[in-house]
Amino acid sequence: MKFVPERLEVAAGDRITWVNRDIVPHSVTAQAASIESGDMTEGRSFSYVAKAAGEIQYICRLHPTMRATLAVK
Amino acid sequence: MKMSWTKALPILLLTPALAFAQAKGPSDPQIAGIVVAANQIDIDAGKLAKSQSKNKEVQGFAQQMITDHSAVNKQAGALVQKLGVKPEDSDTSKSLKQAAAETTKKLKGLKGEPFDKAYVDNEVAFHQQVLDAIDKVLIPSAQNKELKELITKVRPAIATHLEHAKHLQASLGKK
Repeated sequence: MKFVPERLEVAAGDRITWVNRDIVPHSVTAQAASIESGDMTEGRSFSYVAKAAGEIQYICRLHPTMRATLAVK
Repeated sequence: MKMSWTKALPILLLTPALAFAQAKGPSDPQIAGIVVAANQIDIDAGKLAKSQSKNKEVQGFAQQMITDHSAVNKQAGALVQKLGVKPEDSDTSKSLKQAAAETTKKLKGLKGEPFDKAYVDNEVAFHQQVLDAIDKVLIPSAQNKELKELITKVRPAIATHLEHAKHLQASLGKK
């Protein structure tokens, strides 16, 4: 199980949407950036508009081994 | 090079034996029975660990097992209902349940670190066993396309659980 892609580069103001394509629930969670999708079952999506430039490390709260980076340029 | 009949013969004999082995794989209702049993076993083990363990990491892992295997069983239940397949017991599902009953009995007699280690060791072995069964038996034997897809979709979660359980096993071993 992993985020695909594990690193995504976007511009400030871009809207990013994550879709859970997995059979088990997942979340998009970055406490430092106040991002919390809540538990997403299969097929559910979550969107976030990138703010200031910087790197956001996020995880799946349910599966902490799932880690990814959102690089806002 | 000239090949003698004696050398060629074993190869000729091998082919029907392999075909026979493949034909003996579990049927779709038996595969459904194995999937449901395996998930339920790990949900029950997770519930036991959540109530008996004092270790936060072990409890977190146990909760993940409950959440994920419940999600898989929900989907498996919906699929068998849609397909009109009634999960059937097989030697595999029976031996899984028997092994789980023995593990539960052993775990119930343990507390603290010995419990955590025994639970996590069992989770490593169990997920390895399930992963092997998925690759060698369940996916190759499944006849129905949707059943095969469901098992294929479950595989990454089982692989991640195994990886997570191995990390936990290593960290408990250091204590």
